[in-house]
Amino acid sequence: MEPVILPVLQTLVFPGFLFLIAVSFLYEWLDRKIYAWMQLRAGPALAGPVGIMQPIADFVKLMGKEDITPAYADRRIFGAVPVLMVALILTFWAVVPVTGAAGLVSFRGDVVFAVVAMTFFCMLIFLGGFSSSDRFSLLGAERAVLQLLGFEIPLMLSITGVCIHTGGLSVSEIVSWQAENGWSILGPQAMGFFIFLVAAQAELERIPFDIPEAEQEIVAGWLTEYSGRKLALIRLAKDMELVFISGLAVALFLGGPIGPSHAGLEWLLYPAYFLLKLALVVAVLALVRGLFARVRIDQMVSFGMRYLVPLSLAQVAATILWRLI
Amino acid sequence: MSSSYERIFDIPIGPQHPALKEPAMLKLKVDGEHVVGVDLDVSYNHRGIEKAAEYRTYIQNLYLIERICGICNVAQTLTYCLAVESLHGKEIPPRARFLRVVAEEISRINSHLLWLGVAAHEIGFDTFFMHVWLDREITLGLMEALSGNRITSSYNVIGGVRRDVTEELLSRIRKGLDELEPRVKRYREIVLNDRSILKRTQGIGILSPGDAMATSAVGPTLRASGIKSDVRADDPYCSHDQIPFNVITADGCDAHARILVRLDEILESIQMCRHCVSRLPAGPILQRLPRRAPQGEVMSRVEAPRGELFHYISSDGSDKPYRCKVSTPTLANLPALVRMLTSKGKYVVNIADVPVILASIDPCFSCAARVEHSGGV
Repeated sequence: MEPVILPVLQTLVFPGFLFLIAVSFLYEWLDRKIYAWMQLRAGPALAGPVGIMQPIADFVKLMGKEDITPAYADRRIFGAVPVLMVALILTFWAVVPVTGAAGLVSFRGDVVFAVVAMTFFCMLIFLGGFSSSDRFSLLGAERAVLQLLGFEIPLMLSITGVCIHTGGLSVSEIVSWQAENGWSILGPQAMGFFIFLVAAQAELERIPFDIPEAEQEIVAGWLTEYSGRKLALIRLAKDMELVFISGLAVALFLGGPIGPSHAGLEWLLYPAYFLLKLALVVAVLALVRGLFARVRIDQMVSFGMRYLVPLSLAQVAATILWRLI
Repeated sequence: MSSSYERIFDIPIGPQHPALKEPAMLKLKVDGEHVVGVDLDVSYNHRGIEKAAEYRTYIQNLYLIERICGICNVAQTLTYCLAVESLHGKEIPPRARFLRVVAEEISRINSHLLWLGVAAHEIGFDTFFMHVWLDREITLGLMEALSGNRITSSYNVIGGVRRDVTEELLSRIRKGLDELEPRVKRYREIVLNDRSILKRTQGIGILSPGDAMATSAVGPTLRASGIKSDVRADDPYCSHDQIPFNVITADGCDAHARILVRLDEILESIQMCRHCVSRLPAGPILQRLPRRAPQGEVMSRVEAPRGELFHYISSDGSDKPYRCKVSTPTLANLPALVRMLTSKGKYVVNIADVPVILASIDPCFSCAARVEHSGGV
């Protein structure tokens, strides 16, 4: 195979775009199925075997729906946000390792790069809500940014803990360190993993932190005015974000795709390990979604500032001590 | 709150909104996340039932009145039947009175469980909602066994009840209640201990006892403010003087207290049902009454699941009522709702609290839409 074709295929098919999209749909199904199981419901059941095709069916259905842009919306930003969201996650997916220690792209400091993705995503949410020129969207956008204040610092600190612990600033360094010394969750980073999951739940806007799109309060929050193709893309982006953040959690805390293997079988086993660990993280996130009531935005921010920030600071301090000893 | 430039804008909750199960309009004036004013309009679903009742005979009206409210249909027909029976000046047989209590209490359990699910949904706790509604199926099954219908039961008729019970059915009711009781106790435990529920309901929608009296609140909304008032105890209408029960109150004065009052009322209703089922008097279930009612004016009231339900019937001696007037508990609770929704001093209402406060009075806006009026309450 020519040297150009391989990277292109890697980017477009595996472990790049197509793989991410397929996995996103799969894990949306898993998430919905676990959530339904907790609520004593059947969940998706009709499209495909055990309803596994339901997210794809939803996506296709939304794609065919009427697409309305409000008259007072800022058309360019309003239309660009869904596309940018998908593009953002597709781009940043490159740093998540799927087949080995390194992702498609690996450089020193790509951990920071990955964290920036989450902040960018939040900014896009704000732009999307703000450009809708709708009061519900505006409130949702406001809440999204407020929520960012609550979870961003703990999120970054929890990742900082991993970086200090493993002594690496790139995902591949962290993964290969874990391959030699054991998963970083075993040790002071267990707390970091917990903080990361809580922050991820907030970043993903899921119960108990689905405040920016709280249905009973502000209709659909920043999503209110989106419909048709744009909504389909946003939903896809949110599914991909779930996989992206879970993938990051796998890489940073659960040893990435590396695991026991036969020589020559890594190409098959590593992605399988990755998908299994990913399923574990998604399952935990789905369980959390089923166990809580939605908190209020002021409660969320004060929870982040009062408990998560000191906790993550303590965790970073513990990690530094651990390194010194 | 004290910015130099105004940034107060209106958030319409309604007429169509995911937090509302029926059309109503709450115009909230908000400053950021804080509600600073509220304007309420409930007249989106005026159905003209009272006028329609004037064109139907007393018997036909039974089925019209029942449709004022799906959930409190037993209470509606009961109030109506009580009014017509007192027009005739006749007592109904004791067995029918006891059976009416059974039907009423089962429908109260049904209504409170439905409400508990909705309240959980309003705070975003959908898992709780799904579990509660699955257990609500037990009461729906009991209602079906008792009357033949799950929701619109048509159980009460003028002069008694429509169907008798067999020994087999009674034991089925007992079994259903036994199944339900531990579930409700478990929910009570969850409501008392779950931190996320406490965070969203405690201190929310405060209605002080004084305010509750001043706004003439009724039902669980009033009792959650610590005031002991229940039509069943104050003005027994269905052999309630022979059935031991407690009037449940709570001192919290907030949304959480309203959840607890309703949960305790479910447990109390289960006891009342058990008592009625085990001490059911023998005898007929129906006292036949003539089609034409004597001339006169009557009013009757019943403790519906949501509070005091009031019917007024004026008869001109024909087989149709001259005037039929219904006042539902939701209508009585609206002034209290407006007071709860308005921030005042240290008491701040967030937008996120609005659905919780709204749900806490267990509103039924279609029932409340008795009169056309524009503007706020």
